Amino acid sequence: MNTRSLGFRLIGWYAIVLTAVFTFVGAGIYLELGRYLETNLRDALGRRADQVGRMLLAAPSPLDEAAIANEIRSNLLPEPNNRFVHVTRPDGTLLYQSGLPADRSFDPEAVDAAEREQPSPPRTDTREITTSQGVSMLVVSRSVAMPNGTYTIEVGNSLEQIRLVSDYVLILLIVAVPVLIGVSAGGGYLLIKRALKSVERIARSAERITHHNLSERLPIVHTGDELEALAMSVNRMIARLDDAFQSSRRFLADVSHELRTPLTVIKGELQDLVRRRNLSEELRERTGSTLEEVERLTHIVEGLLAVARLDTGEGQREWLRFDLAELATTTADQMKLLAEDQSVTLICDTGHPVEVEGDRARLKQVIVNLLDNAIKYTSEGGSIRLRVRAQDRAVLEVSDTGIGIPSDELARVFDRFFRVDKARSKNVEGTGLGLAIVKSICTAHGAEIEAESTLGSGSCFRVKLPLAAASDAA
Amino acid sequence: MRLLIVEDDPKVAEFVARGLRAERFAVDVSYDGLDGLNFASTYEYDLAILDLMLPTLSGTDLLQRIRRRKPDLPILVLTARDATEEKVQQFEAGADDYLTKPFDFAELLVRVKALLRRGPVNRASVLRVADLEIDRLTMSVRRAGRRIDLTAKEYALLEYLAANPGRVFSRTMILEHVWDQSFEGATNIVDVYVRHLRSKVDDAFEPKLIHTVRGVGYSVRAPEDE
Repeated sequence: MNTRSLGFRLIGWYAIVLTAVFTFVGAGIYLELGRYLETNLRDALGRRADQVGRMLLAAPSPLDEAAIANEIRSNLLPEPNNRFVHVTRPDGTLLYQSGLPADRSFDPEAVDAAEREQPSPPRTDTREITTSQGVSMLVVSRSVAMPNGTYTIEVGNSLEQIRLVSDYVLILLIVAVPVLIGVSAGGGYLLIKRALKSVERIARSAERITHHNLSERLPIVHTGDELEALAMSVNRMIARLDDAFQSSRRFLADVSHELRTPLTVIKGELQDLVRRRNLSEELRERTGSTLEEVERLTHIVEGLLAVARLDTGEGQREWLRFDLAELATTTADQMKLLAEDQSVTLICDTGHPVEVEGDRARLKQVIVNLLDNAIKYTSEGGSIRLRVRAQDRAVLEVSDTGIGIPSDELARVFDRFFRVDKARSKNVEGTGLGLAIVKSICTAHGAEIEAESTLGSGSCFRVKLPLAAASDAA
Repeated sequence: MRLLIVEDDPKVAEFVARGLRAERFAVDVSYDGLDGLNFASTYEYDLAILDLMLPTLSGTDLLQRIRRRKPDLPILVLTARDATEEKVQQFEAGADDYLTKPFDFAELLVRVKALLRRGPVNRASVLRVADLEIDRLTMSVRRAGRRIDLTAKEYALLEYLAANPGRVFSRTMILEHVWDQSFEGATNIVDVYVRHLRSKVDDAFEPKLIHTVRGVGYSVRAPEDE
């Protein structure tokens, strides 16, 4: 999963917020509930203790202890209510103590161990104690002053019940919160994923559109949401790009066409001049030199036109199925002398036939231009290797031991008129369009071209061309 | 031989006409389509050279109309556009040959002569230039009686140049004839081959037969052809 995706980040954020909120609220509920239950119990115990106090005060003097005990038993019903009631006389002896509670949550006998620490009366307090059997209890004490001294009333209750409720809530929260967060994050993720699916679709379609198929548009799903608006604005942008590209191509083609007629005149007139016998040697030289430049200009115009035409997909002709390895071998053969002339070794390394489909003449031009370049930029004694292999695609590779291309200029070698730093270019003449034409031909064939280079030790140009589909005859 | 040129650019028309007149052709020039059609239907021509973009009547229309009236007139089309579909269209409309601007005049001349069936087809089985002998049947070359070994390309190049002694061939013409268009613009393959050819054919002999016409191209000629 892509952790930087919008969906992941959104869900991540909501999960964190939910966790924080649930934890905060859950902790609040847990703590508040415990406190609330304890306060309630304390108040209830307090009221019972006060009731016993009132009984003592209302009793006739001298005290009828048996009647008091009876009254407590019948009014407070300590055992069915699971209460602990304990009354001591001023001298500390026991007047009344409740029996075993109905739920057996504590043993009254085990409680009185705590009684011994009773501070001197009068007092009214609430304590939390632990019985000798380890049961936590809340005990409220009241002191009642009587003519014969101070009586102490204690009313208590086991805290286990409250603890049980709190623990239950706690467990509920611990289990429920992650489940809730998981469910909401998962549900949210699915929702967002569905929304982002259209974004991905838009991105994928946009990725497919290059300057060769600018007439294509993104598919529009009429959902009425922001994504539809996005797709529509992207489409309008593509339309504007398309216009710009087309007008620049038209311009290139128009300029090239317009230049042809004046070039014809210049060339024709100068060639006519050179044919004259009475021309002085100097004039002949100068005219010849001018003609050479006219020739170069002509090649540039033709090259530009070729690029413009390839880029518009115009003139896609004569697509044939042929053996790229064989084409490479014959082309290398034809160019061997050029390499030898520069004292450069040209090695042609082809094996099995590699069937491709395309314009044979154009692809030959690719090989010629790549080899020509390699020969121009490889110094004496160097070598050039032309390789053709079939992998998942047909791979044609021209590597040399030439001067190499600086890495920061490597990406631009396919640009029109781009020349690697003129100081290093060994005074090589050319139109500056060779690699641009190569690139255009490759793109028109659905082929990729890449260049690698190490400055000073050589360059490698690699063309990856789709293989021809397996022949039906086979 | 009388030729008609229909070309709206007066300068192009002028140098083409001048060059053809120098080759002893009678040349009429027309600068627009309707006018050209008039010329073509009024006089008897041996060949017409048409530009494709013409005022008053498009080159294609003109081509079709001339073709209807003169089915046998050879027509050479000149154009500044060279998309393949257009070429096909022109041939369908009746053009016999096709030349894209900017062209070499030498090339135009070769095509004109080919259409007129007046050469440059030199069908002799042995070509002779001074003491150079090229036997086209055995593809062997001798100079001053000594056998010279040439590679296939060197032979093709020499034969092409020597078939018309004294004529200057441009690099483009040589490339298209001896190699193919893939080499155009990029390489100096013609110069390299000519240099190698020279070292075999000319270096050890006098007079030199392979000549460079700077800015134009190469030719093979004997000194007496001057």
